[in-house]
Amino acid sequence: MKLAGKCLLTCAVTWGVAMPTASAGDPQAGTPPIRPEQFAKLQALIKPDAGEDQWAKIPWVTDLWQARQIAARQGKPILLWEMDGHPLGCT
Amino acid sequence: MAIEDYVPVAADDWYQRRREDAEGQFFRRVADQGPRKGEGGATRQGIYCFTADGQLLTYKNAGQNPDVMRETIRDGLRAWQRLPEDRRKPGAITVEDLANPDPQYARTPPPGGLVVNVYTRILDHEQDGLCRGTCSVRGGEAAARDHLWLTEAEWKSLIPDDPKPGERVPLPAAVAERILRFHLTDNTRGEPPMWRRDEIRSQNLTLTVAEVTPAAVRLRLDGSALLATRADAAKAERGFDVRLLGYIGYDRAKKAIDRFDVVAVGDHWGEGTFTRRARPGRMPLGVAFELASGKAAGDLVPPQAARETNAYFGTGKR
Repeated sequence: MKLAGKCLLTCAVTWGVAMPTASAGDPQAGTPPIRPEQFAKLQALIKPDAGEDQWAKIPWVTDLWQARQIAARQGKPILLWEMDGHPLGCT
Repeated sequence: MAIEDYVPVAADDWYQRRREDAEGQFFRRVADQGPRKGEGGATRQGIYCFTADGQLLTYKNAGQNPDVMRETIRDGLRAWQRLPEDRRKPGAITVEDLANPDPQYARTPPPGGLVVNVYTRILDHEQDGLCRGTCSVRGGEAAARDHLWLTEAEWKSLIPDDPKPGERVPLPAAVAERILRFHLTDNTRGEPPMWRRDEIRSQNLTLTVAEVTPAAVRLRLDGSALLATRADAAKAERGFDVRLLGYIGYDRAKKAIDRFDVVAVGDHWGEGTFTRRARPGRMPLGVAFELASGKAAGDLVPPQAARETNAYFGTGKR
């Protein structure tokens, strides 16, 4: 999904997980393994927070033809969010 | 509005504008009423509001700010309300089941396979640790999403036949390649370039049997990889120098994977055609994998890279 516009978000949380930048000569020489005690914090850092993606709360149908059938039965119009890169799978 | 007044549907334009079945024909008929005519195979992406029988009510390109999108959806509702009442009644339109969906553009998870959520986020250094990064592209700081699909044979290959605590085996090659090439990518600003097979410059991914009980087998995944567009990574335009750590669980009674928690963190650099405005230099990028519940709307969405199924499932040349 292509993104447009400009917005800055200030980082607010430090997770205390040191990951030195790799050196140019041997890129992996300076990259330490992830320690088990770092795992949970890294996972939480990367994953979306609850409520981070408000759009995810909408009960999206992922089958356009099925959406047509539902809309016809319910007497509603269809709202289609169509992107290059599935909106629910590559955003 | 989206929930109460509409039937909301999300789709990947790459499939929709190409599929040669009634659904593809319907979508293109709707899109042709708006500005996205798809000349030369161009994108038709956007926000569409339309009737079940294919009358376009309103269209807006995506990527607008929320106020613009809210007004677009309201415009669609106003256009809907202007239609004759007998066209808007439940059951006024009948839509038969889709016959002969185009198999070339249908993607379903492999039978008996595993679906894993994949999240990617830019990170940054702060003092002695890592934090979430900032981005000049709207939404680029958010967690990007994708899915990893493993076939039944592939996820079963993760579990040694006679597991013993401490036993170490390489991560099966097919699984390793899929994770490295198609899921250790920066998709935080758009559709990412995938890694070619020869751009895996080095990899060392290992499964260690951590625990074996009558009920379960617990595995630890760890290792590293270097992905780069040139053999000399120091000169590569794009690369990812990454470490992985994860925990995989197998329920012996259910004969099923019940845990797939993996993180991959390292320095990423460069950008792709649709992921411009990457941060300069080598900056930390994090990828997290977790089992999909199967209950979310997006759980059946195919992996971005599954557009090329031969490459994704390793049956292609590259």
